[in-house]
Amino acid sequence: MKRYVLAAAAAAVACGGAAAHHGWGSYDASKPITVNGAILTSKYENPHATITVKAPDRVWTVTLAPTFRMINRGATKEMVAVGKTVSAYGYVSTVEENEMRAERITVDGKTIEMR
Amino acid sequence: MTEAAPAIFVALEGSAFAAAVRQSPYAYMAANVAHILSLMVFFGAVAVMDLRLVGFFHATSPGSMLRRARLIAILGFCGLVASGTVLFVAEASHIVLNQVFQIKMLLIALALANITWFEYAVAPRVRDLRPHTPLPARARFIGVTSIAIWLAVAACGRLIAYF
Repeated sequence: MKRYVLAAAAAAVACGGAAAHHGWGSYDASKPITVNGAILTSKYENPHATITVKAPDRVWTVTLAPTFRMINRGATKEMVAVGKTVSAYGYVSTVEENEMRAERITVDGKTIEMR
Repeated sequence: MTEAAPAIFVALEGSAFAAAVRQSPYAYMAANVAHILSLMVFFGAVAVMDLRLVGFFHATSPGSMLRRARLIAILGFCGLVASGTVLFVAEASHIVLNQVFQIKMLLIALALANITWFEYAVAPRVRDLRPHTPLPARARFIGVTSIAIWLAVAACGRLIAYF
């Protein structure tokens, strides 16, 4: 049994450098940014909705929240549709280039929390 | 979607079923809930079996206890596979490359091999023993290993989202 546990622990440590995806841990919360611009693409899908936003300097991929939560809070599919202007406050990914995760978004003067 | 994954997983993620899972507000959430409920049922039954092998509940007859708990464990496992499949297909091309997921699958294979070893080589010598009879050392080893591996599987499952 000891051998199995050791092997599992070693394997877990060995993969520590793997690419992170979903937890808030892979975003740099110490330097929040605000991305403003038009929505270029919108995927209203689980596990997280994502939009791409054309900011002045580059195109950001903005990770939002599970769609059920967004619907509950009033951030419907129509609200984050292509062509809408969005302001997303959140954190830059430490793993994926040009990706950020939104803490909250503002569309049509309405601010909605994503966390 | 990532093209780095083997084609079959790219196709799986691109399938109509996977798209329906992603686009439904309920499917992914329901599968998440079903997965953890199935895990509770499964691990509860597995823990009963494994603890009996380790030497707990020695006043019971091992054969009848194992037989009943096994049925519940199998039901729980079916629920885990079904709900896990829904969660997997939604992001198949990414998850299949996730190293924690790969470790989880390896551990499940190991746990299933452990069960197979038990069912074919050890269970026939244990099931007819009377209450209070000490079990062979091999049975105790299998019980401890099984609990340890399944706990590691659950930990990996939760950790997939963070790697």
